[in-house]
Amino acid sequence: MPSEPITAANGTIPRSLPVLRASRIAKRYGGVTALAEGELELAPGEVHVLIGANGSGKSTLCKIIAGATGPDSGVVELDGAPRHFKAPRDAAAVGISVCYQELSLIPQLSVAQNIFLGREKVVARTFVNSRKLNDDAARLMERFQGVAGENFFPNTLVSDLSADQQQLVEILKTAAEDGRIVIFDEPTSSLDNRQVELFFGLVREMKSAGKAIVFISHRMRELFEIGDRMTVMRNGRTVGTFDAADATEGQIIGMMIGNDIVSSAQSPQEKSPQARSAKTVLQADNLTGRTLNGVSLDLAEGEILGLGGLHGQGQSALLRSLFGADPAADGIIKIDGKVVKVSGPRAAMALGLAYVSGDRGRDGTLSHRPVFENLALARLNKSHATYIDVAAVSDQVLPVAERLKLKYAGLGSPISQLSGGNQQKVVLGRWLAAEPRILLLDDPTKGIDLQTKKDLYALLAELCLGGMSILFYSSDDTELLSVSDRVLVFADGQVVDELAGERLTEFELNQAAFASSASAEATA
Amino acid sequence: MTLDTAISGRSNAVKKWAPAVGVVRKPLFIAGVAMMGILVAGEIVAPGFAAPEQIIKMLVVAALLGIVAAGQNLVILGGKEGIDLSVGATITLGALIAGNVMQGQDSMIAIALIATLAVTFGVGLLNGIGVTVLRIPPLVMTLGMLGVLHGSLILLTRGRPSGNSAEMLSNLVDDPLIFGLPGILIVWIGLGILVTLLLRRTLFGMRIYAIGTNETAARLSGVPVGITRTLLFGLSGMFAGLAGFFILGFTGNVFLGVGDQYMLPSIIAVVFGGTSLAGGRGGYVGTMAGAVVLTLLQSLLTTLHIDPSGRQIIFGATLLLLMLFYGRQQRLRS
Amino acid sequence: MTMHTSSTAGTLSSSRKFEFRRHPYLLAVGVFILLSIVNAILQPSFLRPAVAVSNLASFMPLILVAVGQTYVILASDIDLSVGFIISVVNVVVVTTIEALGGSGGAILAGFAAGIATGILAGLVNGLCVAVLRFQPIVTTFATGIIFAGVALWILPQAGGQVPAIVWRTYAGAVAGVPVVLWLLAAVLVFIAVFARTRFHTALVAVGGNMQAAYQTKLPVTRIRITSYVISGLFAALAALALVGETASGDPLLGGAFSLSSITAVVLGGTALAGGRGGALGSLFGAIILGLIANVIFFAQLPFEYQNLAQGLVILLALAGGVFVARR
Ligand SMILES: Nc1ncnc2c1ncn2[C@@H]1O[C@H](COP(=O)(O)OP(=O)(O)O)[C@@H](O)[C@H]1O
Ligand SMILES: [Mg+2]
Repeated sequence: MPSEPITAANGTIPRSLPVLRASRIAKRYGGVTALAEGELELAPGEVHVLIGANGSGKSTLCKIIAGATGPDSGVVELDGAPRHFKAPRDAAAVGISVCYQELSLIPQLSVAQNIFLGREKVVARTFVNSRKLNDDAARLMERFQGVAGENFFPNTLVSDLSADQQQLVEILKTAAEDGRIVIFDEPTSSLDNRQVELFFGLVREMKSAGKAIVFISHRMRELFEIGDRMTVMRNGRTVGTFDAADATEGQIIGMMIGNDIVSSAQSPQEKSPQARSAKTVLQADNLTGRTLNGVSLDLAEGEILGLGGLHGQGQSALLRSLFGADPAADGIIKIDGKVVKVSGPRAAMALGLAYVSGDRGRDGTLSHRPVFENLALARLNKSHATYIDVAAVSDQVLPVAERLKLKYAGLGSPISQLSGGNQQKVVLGRWLAAEPRILLLDDPTKGIDLQTKKDLYALLAELCLGGMSILFYSSDDTELLSVSDRVLVFADGQVVDELAGERLTEFELNQAAFASSASAEATA
Repeated sequence: MTLDTAISGRSNAVKKWAPAVGVVRKPLFIAGVAMMGILVAGEIVAPGFAAPEQIIKMLVVAALLGIVAAGQNLVILGGKEGIDLSVGATITLGALIAGNVMQGQDSMIAIALIATLAVTFGVGLLNGIGVTVLRIPPLVMTLGMLGVLHGSLILLTRGRPSGNSAEMLSNLVDDPLIFGLPGILIVWIGLGILVTLLLRRTLFGMRIYAIGTNETAARLSGVPVGITRTLLFGLSGMFAGLAGFFILGFTGNVFLGVGDQYMLPSIIAVVFGGTSLAGGRGGYVGTMAGAVVLTLLQSLLTTLHIDPSGRQIIFGATLLLLMLFYGRQQRLRS
Repeated sequence: MTMHTSSTAGTLSSSRKFEFRRHPYLLAVGVFILLSIVNAILQPSFLRPAVAVSNLASFMPLILVAVGQTYVILASDIDLSVGFIISVVNVVVVTTIEALGGSGGAILAGFAAGIATGILAGLVNGLCVAVLRFQPIVTTFATGIIFAGVALWILPQAGGQVPAIVWRTYAGAVAGVPVVLWLLAAVLVFIAVFARTRFHTALVAVGGNMQAAYQTKLPVTRIRITSYVISGLFAALAALALVGETASGDPLLGGAFSLSSITAVVLGGTALAGGRGGALGSLFGAIILGLIANVIFFAQLPFEYQNLAQGLVILLALAGGVFVARR
């Protein structure tokens, strides 16, 4: 599918002299290489799109430019002069502002306080006029009037805002700083279409004011709509920069994923239908909760059932409720036809369930604990062992490590010394070692390298042949379609379509996902 | 997978096991250097400071602190701002129960011990329940418990010393038992082995590190987080009670506030032993060394004939100096 | 919360819904009223101005130190040394006044020396925690030991005497209003004014999310140092109030204030995790602690039950406070 990727040589000449150039930036976090060779060049008055898979180092590059973290090597030049920012203050002083992906808001402060934090207009150099602060904030917030939803006031506490409202505040906060280089790190991921349009209006204004703007997003449509130039990153490296007008979606995807992955993943046709029996292992009936609006499904033995759709439509919530991590408020779960109550992860484990989260830092790894413990924890918790015979348990977990092709110094070395992909393998291995029957995968390949992904796909196929049943959510559509036997498309906490056989295509998936979200918006 | 790789992986695993406790190692090294330094300095200013019988005397005092610190250590390892400010009062309570149950009779020692441990374990569990069920921050919960225990102690003692150590218990603390070591040191060494085994070789220990390192991941991996943490506080109470039991043997009877002086040093010993106040890192061997260093330092300052004020100033300053090496907060520029 | 009709800001006005969470001190105020009623029933003289003023005079040191502690805790740090700062300031004041002969000028010099000592002590704490990145609990415990040692060194035994004018003034009145009432008014004004400064917002930001505050370009290190300095300053003021109360020097006087100031802060609805709460609550928290002791004393419980009752009530209040604050 991807044709000849555009190389860095094509069309890299900026329209005018660059205001900022970051070259050969490298950054490691423990055993993880976040950036190997990051390059970025910005011209005034351009919207520069930065694109790359999760974990390819986009945010790290931005943080280094903003002085929020220091590079191991490489230089950031501003107007041709090298700069060494020791803190975000230094970068801000020369006009660099960042809208952080993970947001930099203080939950305990109000919207207005957050927008102007540290830059409040003061009386007698000391006092804040909170009425004026709120008025000023209100003036800025007017931009999103009508699309921001309820309870979006200058004096609302940020902790009371919904995710999209918080994102809007972060955007306004960044815009209010009025820097000449403005970086937006995935600002649209939690916004709806109307909010995105108004945000683009803001970006266009900034652009015509001559600012250099970096925009990161995973949505192709947005990138082509707003971008002037594009820089693609892959595995911590900048692989190319080109004019948006010269690029096609296919080429960009080809550069992002490095070509081989799509072909190497097992295609659905290759799957042997015999792998799955007709026996239904897991059934969910009308699960309802905070972000679930009545989800029903059944999962056969040896089947990989994919969960697709736009990000955050209830896929994670479903998996977490099945595992008892965030139990659903209502609905019935059956295993082997018997109604079960999953009150928590321990109950789920006893029923043979396992849950692997893609957010391994939050849900998975016990950083600085040995690989051994990270691998054995779930198995041992399930076994109710009291004393741990390290040699015996090692013998039990080592085959798992082998099977995962884990690259590690030894069972005793801390997991934090492993690369990100290998850390994720350990988290998966923890569950394989616990010998579950049903595997719940919650975007497990987020931010891991291609080789690890390939290993994982092969492993999943193998597990299914062994009779394991898998619920598989992935934010990567290509991967989802190639790995799954069937795909349930989610929108607004509901299953809106089921894709199988001929219909397992990206086109069908997108159509189902977008059609339903459009109709949902129309009714809202 | 070949057999070869499996075996090499296995031996690798065994070989690499030791560095897993490398976190403890650095503090141990520092503690060792500090111990030697203090002993040498002491011997120079006051010949006889580092004499074996003198060292043993200091170790007995260190053992009392070390036993309290074991519980403190567990609570801190469990993370989530785990800390137990009520250990001082719990020590006094333990000593009081022990002294009043045994009333100087050797025959009652065992019963006294059981009663002491049971009650103080219960007190600790209350702390744990407050922290896990009512979700009160540990500092606040144990601070409140401190007040309650203090009041209870006044009620129980009416402000007068009471209870008597049995002779056998006093002998255990004071007199040589094996290899010239008093019984209390043997007990402490045994405890050190037990706690270390608990941490490194049991599921409970693994769970402690798991909840201290990443509570969410631990819960998702089937660790009963609430129960584990509640038990940690229970154990902290119990170790404080055990320390109180031996302190009774050390002092002969119980006066109000006998345990107070152990509360903050128990935290310091843990920190200097290389356990992070953020939880999940460290172990008991380091804490034992920390308790010894603290005790040696205090003895040295006493020996130096510096008046109490100078002693305190030097002690505090040394603590600050040692802080340079331990558990500093993360840089904001990650 | 602004209560105005927005003229310039188009239709986006402010929410006016009353929210308990934004006023975490309210619980403490409620408890304060309740305890006052109980106290007044048990001790009919409680509402007599003279008694109320003398109560306030004895609560004032804890009020002051708790207010200062609040700012440290708001920034998610903690100051266990405040009690010993009180001790050292107390002896510095008394010995300075004595050494200079007890004249009016000597008194002023003594007070100035005391305040400078408190600020210096806070600065030491702040530098250790914010610049050297030492862990706050252990650090302020260690500096507390040092401060206690310094207090002992300056004045090994309790003693010394300040001129009568000092304690007469503390117990007296200016312009017909008791001095402690002036003090209380001053503290209230300070709390109200300080809460409206840019610095206060920054403090809450640092305590709420230190990383985000850093990324937002706030001078996090300086803010944390300043909070410790404020705490030291208030501990010094508390020591001055104590000098007014006790009229003499005592190197062991302050120790207990460290933990009780934290209790008062938590009772006042400030979260130990930082970012939420305020000094007004701590003021009431400190008064509550005093009233609990009062009430239990006048409830005529047998003497030996009083401490236990006090401990239980405080634990209950702490637990209740934490519980309500989460709603
Ligand atoms: N603070 C950190 N500690 C450890 N690893 C990190 C940290 N920040 C980022 N990483 C790792 O660096 C890699 C790149 O991350 P990031 O720059 O956030 O990627 P992107 O923004 O492109 O998704 C990922 O593998 C991530 O796990
Ligand atoms: Mg990112």
